[in-house]
Parts: sequence; structure tokens; C-alpha cells
Amino acid sequence: MLVQLLANGILSGCIYALIALGFGLIYTTTRTFHFAHGAIYTLSAYLFYTFYSLYAWPVWVAVILATAAAALAGILIDRVIYLPLIRRGSSRLVPLLSSTGLYIVIVNFIAIVFGNNTKIPSPGVQPTLVIGTLVLTRSQLLALGSFVVLFVFVLVMLRTTSLGRKIRALRDDPELVSALGINPLKTRTIVFGFGSSLAAIAAIISALDVGIDPNIGLAATLTSAVALFVGGVGILEGAVFGAFLLGTLQALTIWQVSARWQDAVTFLLLLFFLTFRPQGVLGRRHRSDEVAV
Amino acid sequence: MNYLFQVLTIISIYSILALSLNLLIGYTGLLSLSHAAFYGIGAYIGTLSGIVFGLSFFPCLLLAIAGTVAISFVVSLPSLRLKGDYFVLASLSFQTIVFVVLYNWIAVTRGPFGLTNIARPTLFGFSLSSDFAYFVFSGIIALACLGLLYLIGHSPFGRLLKAVREDEIAVSALGKDITRLKVTAFAIAAGFAAVAGLLFAGHVRYLDPTSFTLLESVFVVSIIIIGGAGNVSGPLIGTVLLVTLPEVLRFVGIPYTIAPNLRQIIYGLLIILVLRFKPQGISGEYGFE
Repeated sequence: MLVQLLANGILSGCIYALIALGFGLIYTTTRTFHFAHGAIYTLSAYLFYTFYSLYAWPVWVAVILATAAAALAGILIDRVIYLPLIRRGSSRLVPLLSSTGLYIVIVNFIAIVFGNNTKIPSPGVQPTLVIGTLVLTRSQLLALGSFVVLFVFVLVMLRTTSLGRKIRALRDDPELVSALGINPLKTRTIVFGFGSSLAAIAAIISALDVGIDPNIGLAATLTSAVALFVGGVGILEGAVFGAFLLGTLQALTIWQVSARWQDAVTFLLLLFFLTFRPQGVLGRRHRSDEVAV
Repeated sequence: MNYLFQVLTIISIYSILALSLNLLIGYTGLLSLSHAAFYGIGAYIGTLSGIVFGLSFFPCLLLAIAGTVAISFVVSLPSLRLKGDYFVLASLSFQTIVFVVLYNWIAVTRGPFGLTNIARPTLFGFSLSSDFAYFVFSGIIALACLGLLYLIGHSPFGRLLKAVREDEIAVSALGKDITRLKVTAFAIAAGFAAVAGLLFAGHVRYLDPTSFTLLESVFVVSIIIIGGAGNVSGPLIGTVLLVTLPEVLRFVGIPYTIAPNLRQIIYGLLIILVLRFKPQGISGEYGFE
């Protein structure tokens, strides 16, 4: 029982990690609290549902279209909403608030078009894999596989390619980056596009697993924010570590207390870290993060 | 006519919420996403005091304010050291935790089943059960709250809060205790939110946790963004505008199935547009620059 719960925790950690990886990449590189990340998550789940279940297109076409649409949406949000505010020299709270407004707009638009009820893109019982006493569903394995592949890809990309160096440079010192003649706008665009497509992949897997409703994005945003700040801002593995910690902790909460108290435990963990270790488990301490408003 | 009085009662309640949150956002520069939590805590403490101890309105109100202010210290003491996104996240965490507790602590709050048949107060032998009487009552309380908040805003304390907003380091260099100023502002805002909560409970006569969600907190923040922050007129204009918006939608004949979503889309768009093109809102003193 405990082994199964822990396995479930780690596998839901894979989904959280994919969302948080995108959110964290955007936050650590551009310092934008991208609340609308959750709206992109919801949007791509509904696009996948439309292409795959309503139009009955092949699954790979639906996946590619939904992921590409998410990337495009992320880039557009950056260009239309965040960049004008940043160019005006606004404080970091203003993009956060605009992003929240945008989240509300997108999610309610989806609710008007599709209704508020739950949709199940993949009806019927999922095939499972049984290892001893452990039962794993197809979507869980899909989550694990996608996470491993994408995480390795991100790590290798950041550490070895010139794009990765630009992203890390933008994270460390945006002004120096432009002084060196690197176009920060191009790097931002890639970060927003790629981060958003990670959310889309997580959304599709989760949609196949448990179905979708217009409010799934709020949990996605909040979970990735908690994972990022608990794991550690400023270091990419932080968000992933936080996501697995969260998945495991939620599984233990279900075991010891009840699923209904999951959110309370999650946010108590965040409050604990914000109070006693604001740099997170793996993060380095930046005084400027606490002083800059 | 009763419909008009109900809308006016809601405006009174939200004007207290908006102007008290304005003390944090507009004066002190603290973006708190936990106002609906204090609003809810006040509503539940006040209503439960009435049900369990059989107290009349004003003792319930005092208990609600005292309880909510006490809880505000638990949150504000650790989280007010945090800045920017970190403080926003801390207040958001508290908001979520309060919602989960209200929803799941069924023995006390009755959770999703809610508290039903809440009695409206009787004052000096005069029952406030009609919508008109309750509107007059909440209007008077709201005016008293607005007066108090105006006085606080224009007191030396209020000016210090504005100074904290403009330059925290300069204020501490003058020997002022920043944390104490912020904690006090937080407690005052929480106390007023409790008053609004108890008025709300008497108005709808039914309490359940879904009135006190994170999105409700965002709604109150958006009243301040759209109306304007840092003075009295901004949040008041924002309240009237956003509270009457669903009623306007109803009159122009938007089907009731999409009206709640359309209302949210409109206020979400207003947030984005105001922040982009008019950071000080319709009539605010302090801009979200």
C-alpha cells in the first residue's frame, strides 16, 4: 500500500516536474511570475481534447498542434503583456498582476466555449503494467518517460549548447547580456516558447489520465510555484526536486491524513520554506531577491 | 426595490473590503492575496459566536474582529519580512490554507454543507430582517468604517505607511520600526475585513467556504487596481463599478449560463488594460508602476 502510494506520488511528481520545469525556466531566466502558465496548461489540454476527441485526428497530430499552440501562446503573452511593462520599467509585481488577469480571461473564455463540466479525452479503462504488487497505468508510464527525456534534454541543452549558455547568462545578469551583443529578446522568446510547450505536454498526459475541466490550470500554477520556491529559485534542478518532494509529500498525506488536506500541507510546506529557508532546498541565497520589490 | 437594496448592501460590504485592503496595497505597498481569508475568518467567527453562544450582533462583531486580528499576527509576523513575489506567495499560501480549513473542519464550520438560516440581527427591539433595514444598517456600518479608514489614512500613522511604500530604507533610517508598522497595518486591514465578513453573513444568511477563495482575494485586489489605490475615491469607484458589473450584464440580457464567466473575463481584461495604460487606475493616487 505504502509502496503503491509512494510510486503514485513520484509519478505525479513527474507531471508536476514538467509544469514546474517550464515555470521555473521562465521565472529564473526572466524573473517573471508567469501566473498565466496555468492558463496555457488548461488551453493546451482543451486544444488536445478538441483535436483528438472531437475531430478524431491522430494522436500525434493532436499532440504536436496543442504543444505548438502552447508555445505560440507563451511567446505572444510575453510580447504583448510582459515586455511592454518591463520596457516601462515597472516593478515585478505588475507583470504578476497582469498575468493573473490574463489567467482569469483565458480560463473563463474556455469555460464559455466548452462548459464547466469535466471532459474525458480517453474513455475506457487504461492498460496497466503490473510489477509485483505495484500497478502502474499507461499515463503514469508516459509521464515518467516524457519527464526523463525532457529533463535530460533541458540539462544537456543548458550545459553544453550556446543557447544554454545564453539562457544561463540571461538568468545571471540581463544587462551584461545585452552589453555583450547577445539579443536577450530572442532568448526570452525561446524560453517562453519552450517553457509553455513543457506545460502542454504535462497537460496532455494529465488529461489522458484524469480528464480536464476549466480549473485544472490553477492547481498547475500553484503547484509549480510551490515546487520552484521549495526546491530553490535560480537553479533549474530546484523546481524538479521540489516537484518530487511535493508529489511524495502529497502521497504521504493521503496515507496518513486524507486527500482533502493535501493543499493545506502543500502550502504549509511553502510557508515553512519562505520563512526559514527562502532560497529553497537547493537554491543559493541572493540577498537582492529579498530586497528588490 | 428589494433588489436595489441588496445591490447597495453588497456595495457597502465590498467598499469596506476594498478600502481596508487599500491600507495594505495602496498605502503600505504590500500586495496581499489573503484578504478573502480574513473576510471569511471574520464571517465564520462572528456567525458561530452567534449560533454557539447566542450572543447578539455587537458582541459577535467584537469577537470576530478580535479573533481575525489575532490570526493576522500569526501570518504577518513571519511573512512581512518577505518582499515582492515572496510576500505575495506567502499571503497566497495563507489564503489557500484558510480555505482548506474552512472546507474540511466540518465539526466546526460544517464545511461544504455550510451554515444555514443565519439570523439577521435585531437592534433595540427593531428587527433588521427586511432588505431595506439591512441595507440601512450595513450602510451605516460601512460609512463608519470608511470614516475610520479615512482618519487612519490621514493620521501620522497613515503618512508613515505611505513613506514605507515609497522608501522603506529611508523610513527605517528615521528610526521607525518597519515590521511593527506593517504588522499593525495588516492587523487593522484584517479587523475591517472581519466586519465586512459578518455583514456578508447576515446579508446572504448562508455561509459556505466557496465565498472565500483565492479568486475572491484576487477580485478585491482587482477592485483596487481598476479603481485606483492610495486614496479613498479610487477603491470606492472600483467597488461600485465591479459590483454593479454583473447587474449591468443581467440588464443587457446576457444569458445567465455565461454571465458569471463573462463578468470575470471583463474584469480580467480591465486589470490588464489598466496596468498597461493607466497604472494609477481610474482615480488612484498610487500607480502600479
